[in-house]
Amino acid sequence: MSMFSIGLSGLNAAQNALNTTSNNISNVYTPGYNRELTILGQQGTTAGGVQVNDIQRQFNQFVASQLNAATSSSSALATYENQISQIDNLLADREAGLAPLMQNFFSSLEDLASAPSDPAARQGVIGTANTLTSQFRSFDGYLQDMQQGINGQISDEVTQINNLTEQMATLNREIALARARSGEAPNSLLNQRDQLVQELSERMDIRLNIQDGKSYNISLPNGQPLVAGTNHYRLEAMDAPNDPQRTVIGYRASGGNLVAMPEDTVKGGTLGGLMSFRSETLDKTQNQIGQLAVSLVMGFNEQHAKGMDLNGEQGGDFFSIGTPQAYSHSRNTGTAQVEATSFDAANIDQLRATDYTVRFGNAGDPPQVFRKDNGQQLAADQVAWDDATGTLGFGGITLEFSGTPANGDRFEVQPVRRATAEMRSEIIDLDKIAAAQPSNPDDDPADWLMTGTGDNRNALALQNLQSKALVAGRSSLSQAYGGMVSDVGNQANIVKVNLDARQGLTAQLKAVQQSESGVNLDEEAANLIRYQQFYSANARVIDTASTVFDTILGLRN
Amino acid sequence: MRISTVTMFEQSVSSMNRQQGDFLKVGQQIASGRRVINPSDDPQASSRAVGVSQAKAITQQFTDARVSARNSLSQAESVLNSVSDAVISAKTLLVQAASDTFSDIDRQSVASELRGIYETLIGQANATDGNGRYLFGGYRDDSPPFARTAGEGVQGAQYIGDENTREQRIDSSRLLPVADNGKSIFQSVPSGAGYVARAERDTGGQSIGTQAGFERNQGSVTFSGPSRVNPDDPAFGGSFTLQFTEDADGVMQVNAVDGEGNIVLEAEEYVPGSAVSFGGVSITLKGTPVDGDQIQLRPANAEGANKDLFKSLKDAIDVLEMDQEGTPENRAHFRNTINSVMRELDNSLDNVLTVRASMGARLNELDVVDAVASNRMMNYEKTLSDLVDLDYNEAIAEYSLRQVGLQAAQRAFVDVKGLSLFNFL
Repeated sequence: MSMFSIGLSGLNAAQNALNTTSNNISNVYTPGYNRELTILGQQGTTAGGVQVNDIQRQFNQFVASQLNAATSSSSALATYENQISQIDNLLADREAGLAPLMQNFFSSLEDLASAPSDPAARQGVIGTANTLTSQFRSFDGYLQDMQQGINGQISDEVTQINNLTEQMATLNREIALARARSGEAPNSLLNQRDQLVQELSERMDIRLNIQDGKSYNISLPNGQPLVAGTNHYRLEAMDAPNDPQRTVIGYRASGGNLVAMPEDTVKGGTLGGLMSFRSETLDKTQNQIGQLAVSLVMGFNEQHAKGMDLNGEQGGDFFSIGTPQAYSHSRNTGTAQVEATSFDAANIDQLRATDYTVRFGNAGDPPQVFRKDNGQQLAADQVAWDDATGTLGFGGITLEFSGTPANGDRFEVQPVRRATAEMRSEIIDLDKIAAAQPSNPDDDPADWLMTGTGDNRNALALQNLQSKALVAGRSSLSQAYGGMVSDVGNQANIVKVNLDARQGLTAQLKAVQQSESGVNLDEEAANLIRYQQFYSANARVIDTASTVFDTILGLRN
Repeated sequence: MRISTVTMFEQSVSSMNRQQGDFLKVGQQIASGRRVINPSDDPQASSRAVGVSQAKAITQQFTDARVSARNSLSQAESVLNSVSDAVISAKTLLVQAASDTFSDIDRQSVASELRGIYETLIGQANATDGNGRYLFGGYRDDSPPFARTAGEGVQGAQYIGDENTREQRIDSSRLLPVADNGKSIFQSVPSGAGYVARAERDTGGQSIGTQAGFERNQGSVTFSGPSRVNPDDPAFGGSFTLQFTEDADGVMQVNAVDGEGNIVLEAEEYVPGSAVSFGGVSITLKGTPVDGDQIQLRPANAEGANKDLFKSLKDAIDVLEMDQEGTPENRAHFRNTINSVMRELDNSLDNVLTVRASMGARLNELDVVDAVASNRMMNYEKTLSDLVDLDYNEAIAEYSLRQVGLQAAQRAFVDVKGLSLFNFL
């Protein structure tokens, strides 16, 4: 073998190495790029010279998987934190929050007790009541907007995920083709595919299974496949079967049916963050606000009806409020429908900030009622079922059914979730505030006798409601509100702390991953000089060979 | 460990971000003066702050209630002050008028003076607060509680308010009466007031005397007293009627029966100028009775006894305006009525003073509760401040520290960015 060909192999190798280095430098900031190394080897057994054995992609599957898992959970926490901080901020307002407005309202009742027939005091009560109810409504409106925002975001995420899985399936095929064509690993396609896995991990937690060391198969945490070889399966955003106002993830099963996945299937990534925030915090906060509003309204109206207004009539409803929501499950087979829902004033102490599932059994048997927050079934004595009229009472509400339920039919009941949206102050006429109590309270309200315009006993009783255990028979309004603040605050705090920890871990893993796969410009600069010199040296070899050759040729001259 | 260029860059940026976040948080705390801005900053403190601020709001409500209670009570108290003055002047006038040296004309002029006082008193009893609400009508504060009645002589006054007392919650467990009703002020006597006598005979229905169902005595008997001599007497505390009857021999006899008609004093011969005692009371009698004349002795708060201040004054004016025509019977009727009225006015004055004293006590109570509440308020403020407010010294130190941290992170970024082998090629 000649010096020429040795020099030439060196030039080739140097050029390859310089190419690799240039490629590394140019992709220093490319997401998903893994640095490449030119692996040189000795050529042949006797001939001498150098050859490029491989352009090796510096990729560690083990570290990448760890990083992806960490990314998934910190992305979930970041989404959660982003959402919960909105409620956290909402509760932070000390001046316009619900607590000060409730205080103002009860303070205006104190004014009323001081001057029960004074129009200014009465106007004060109506004004503060309006402010209070509108703030309750706007608070609930904000939370409802968040619910709808989450529905929209879930749809977006699902679309993105479908795009990613589709691309993944395409890449699987292209990589297989490229391998078959050249026998070499197509580094840039591999990088793209690993980058897709990472992007997918940011959106949800997935399971990656590498088939034969080549093809990537992706499945959901519950094992259902998303990408299998060159096939991909679509997720769909759909209305929850138990609540048409709620978007959940649906998976099209092999039979072609769209099946809603349980909400806790996906826990990681943006999607998981949204789902956990919604079921752990948003639903709960909305229910707590609803419970607070309903308890206030029912308690206040009850006391107001014990009094008499300036016209000598029994106090009417001071506030109005929405009704409990009930949805029949989309796969019910019976004819039963919920016709009417109402709050049960006599048992309002049993009102809880939770949703319920009602499940019918054999015909005539009382249905089973499950609390959704802790999954417990209500004891038989807490459920009142009248089979003749189809009236079901539990947890401070009453449902009226029509039709015949089939065994296994289910209904989703949200007693207080949307009640706040309809909270309004009903008193417009100053005279209609019932500040007085009748002189014969035990008689029929129609026969009540007015004591006088100076009677402030009912105003005092109304004012005293602020210290009464109106909410669930256990806590006062402000205690319940304080409990909610504490719940949200704690949850936000926990999420923040977890997020910090997760992000720290993710950053570390990222550094580890980068230490192996990332490009260091100083290193590449050094390589550039090295391979440049390598190239020059090989050129010199050819030059020398040429000189030697010329010397030989020159011998004849 | 190999460090990639991206890692160097990202680490610098993220540490700058973190420093900036911390720096801004302290800045926000300083600007708002609060340590806990969002509930998540300190969930326990935030939740307790809701409770404390509710307690504060309630305390404030009670403070406001005390302001209006004090207002009502002071107004009522000042009215009662004038009322007691008026009653005292009425009594002075009656003492003058009782003098034997006064002629009918003199008594007329006293009567007209007394009418003035009477009208003033009714005006006081119908006093209103700043909002036009009547002070002494109980719950019926929208119309004058004392309405005028028609009839012979001076127009009377009838109470048409109710017997309720408006209360206000001035502390968590204290309902304070803030407006006493007219009946308890002007138509009541304090417990423990003694016996009051009226000298009139029973007509069995017709009312032409000062009392319903009675007419004036026909004789000239007058009384002084009655006074309490033996409160342990079993009959003491009941109402008695002293009756004069002429026996078969034409001797005037006197006896006494209680409310049920049981005899408490056996008939005995009437001796003018002597005292008779029965049922624990004693009364001195003078003058000449006629058969059938009576004197009623009742505990001041008994059924049938006059407790109405306005009625007493009306009776006094009516007899003052009466033409005595110099007869001993008229004179006796005048003296007896003035005697009764004087004692009734004493009782009424005592009652007004008692109510006034109770108002004073309530005003004092308000002061005491105010002092307690302002202490409590300060405690709440302090607790609230400890829970959520910022310690400025600590915060400003933190602020400077964060500033240094941020500057250091920025410096580090600039330095790292400047270090590249390419700069030397």
